[in-house]
Amino acid sequence: MLLYNIRIAAKSLRRNPYMTALLLAAIALGICVSTTFTTLRHAFAKDPLPGKSSKVFYVRMDNWDPAQPYPGDDPKSLPPQISYADMRELMKSTIPTRQTALFISRLFITPDPKVAKPYQENVRLAFSDFFTMFDVPFQYGSGWDRKADAKPEAVVVIDDATNKKLFAGANSVGKTLRIDDRVFKVVGVLAPWRPTVRYYDLNGGAVNAPEAIYLPLNFTPLMQIRSGGNSDGWRNYTINSFEEFLKAADIDWIQFWVELPTPEKQQAYRDFIDNYVRDQKKHGRFERPLNNRVTNLMETIGDFKVVLPQLSAMAAVSVLFLAVCSLNLVGLLLGKFLARAPEVSVRRALGASRGQVFLQHIVECEVVGIIGGALGMLLSFGVLKFLTKVLPGSIPIQIDGTMILSAVFLSLVAGFVAGVYPAWRICTMPPAIQLKLQ
Amino acid sequence: MLEMKNIKKIYRTELIETHALEDFSLHVEAGEFVAIMGPSGSGKTTFLNVAGLLDTFDSGTYLLDNKDVSRLSDSEMSRIRNQNIGFVFQSFNLIPDLNVFDNVDVPLRYRGLSASDRKRRIEGSLDLVGLSSRWKHLPSQLSGGQQQRVAIARVLAGDPKLILADEPTGNLDSLMAREIMDLLDQINSRGTTIIMVTHSPECAARASREVHVLDGKVLDLERPRVAVTRESPTTAGLASSLN
Repeated sequence: MLLYNIRIAAKSLRRNPYMTALLLAAIALGICVSTTFTTLRHAFAKDPLPGKSSKVFYVRMDNWDPAQPYPGDDPKSLPPQISYADMRELMKSTIPTRQTALFISRLFITPDPKVAKPYQENVRLAFSDFFTMFDVPFQYGSGWDRKADAKPEAVVVIDDATNKKLFAGANSVGKTLRIDDRVFKVVGVLAPWRPTVRYYDLNGGAVNAPEAIYLPLNFTPLMQIRSGGNSDGWRNYTINSFEEFLKAADIDWIQFWVELPTPEKQQAYRDFIDNYVRDQKKHGRFERPLNNRVTNLMETIGDFKVVLPQLSAMAAVSVLFLAVCSLNLVGLLLGKFLARAPEVSVRRALGASRGQVFLQHIVECEVVGIIGGALGMLLSFGVLKFLTKVLPGSIPIQIDGTMILSAVFLSLVAGFVAGVYPAWRICTMPPAIQLKLQ
Repeated sequence: MLEMKNIKKIYRTELIETHALEDFSLHVEAGEFVAIMGPSGSGKTTFLNVAGLLDTFDSGTYLLDNKDVSRLSDSEMSRIRNQNIGFVFQSFNLIPDLNVFDNVDVPLRYRGLSASDRKRRIEGSLDLVGLSSRWKHLPSQLSGGQQQRVAIARVLAGDPKLILADEPTGNLDSLMAREIMDLLDQINSRGTTIIMVTHSPECAARASREVHVLDGKVLDLERPRVAVTRESPTTAGLASSLN
């Protein structure tokens, strides 16, 4: 019966192409706007590490001024990063299965003069676990190992664009690259990689692209690498050397992540952090009440407000816009269906129940919803492609399977909302009156 | 087949009440061919609508095939209309978008029959009304008489016990009217009960009984015309091809 109803719907829609075009255009416009904005929101809100995000944790500790909390709406706000000195202590823990400290810097790259002139590039300083913890994709080689961290070995991982720029896109593993005053051996080349949210560094531009170059973090003291990202501090220091800067226990500029696969490990690590802070309190640090946060990736994305409230509001308004488009069709569909009252009366006389007549007309509305929805999705693909080009940072925003399913669902709902009243009216019309009028 | 007792049907508006049927009582035996006659506004069509479960009534009792159909749900009434009652209308009431085959198919769709069963019934009934070669035609491509034959094929395909015909020849010339009446005769002779509303004395003369209606009541003027049961070679073929 469903196929029969779809056939009747197709005949009905072909009968009046202008009205059909109007119906489809309204649904297409509503679906285009709603899909575009819900996809924008979804791109920032979706889980960037499916299956793993609940095991990867970001560590924060409140080492701020005892006189006032870290600036923020919440009185329990705490600095978003930790100090280099604290990071060194936390790295000693054996509870996490993986852990990495991170910070961003800008260093000079000096390529072969025949290939390119020296230039400054964004460099991510990290430990070896960074690559496996965050599922960083490689096309050649891999990340370095823990031995390379410890020594540290002069190894580097470069991204696809850098590999194309400096090595013509060939497998450059084993080749060398001069960064500042040192020569590094390439051990890995990333595959093209542009997550919508730079989920491993939410503190300094969560929508920025990943960095071009990755170096072992232990080169920080050796090369005196300074952070190119945000730093926070409240205490007045007199710093005369880079070593003193690294030792400044209350200047926060390091992001710190740990992988804790089990609830037991998660609890043990939280206890470890609390005990570390309590111990530091004995040395006159961490004077504020105990306020540590060990949050998994999705909680951290929430804490850093990666999904702007404006984006959520716009997504909600766009769905309301679809509702308005859909409600505007009620009058059109009512006129269309009531004009068909004689045919419906004949069907009723021949044995169609009210339910069957209702279903026939709802199916027609759903056919409009689905076709209009498909057109709307195509439009939305185009709009998002355009937005990707014009938005700063070339943030990739694509309609994924979840958004396609959501658009199909919204199309069906829109069709139903538009058609439920007209379909109810036509199915409750007494057939005898129309038969008499014919 | 049909037993109505003291049926009352009132159409109400804010200003007036119209008593369309007033103590309307009628008994029709299975296999009868009854002609309902009366002037315009006498309640003939209202009676057909009530008899065909297309309209409700205010009081009285109505037994259809020995079943009380006074208080049935919409789906039960629809099922009875679909399986037991066939309608033939003055203006044919074919669906203009559907070709002949699909028009005949409409009641069978609501019965949930298999595709092969529906095809067999449709081809059989179109054959009987002499339109099997026109199955692809749209109603607009057919003459009035052919359209009415399609409407009758639609009824035949459903094989109902009761046919309600509302002035089936009202829009046809006399030649076509005779063809249609011949067809109804054939259908009746295989045992199908027919109740036909008509203004035409010639058509009424083909029925086995005339019932006169005036002011929503049956007048006491009934008279049998011919024997109820008949069988002819044509109708025997008709019956066997549909069963």
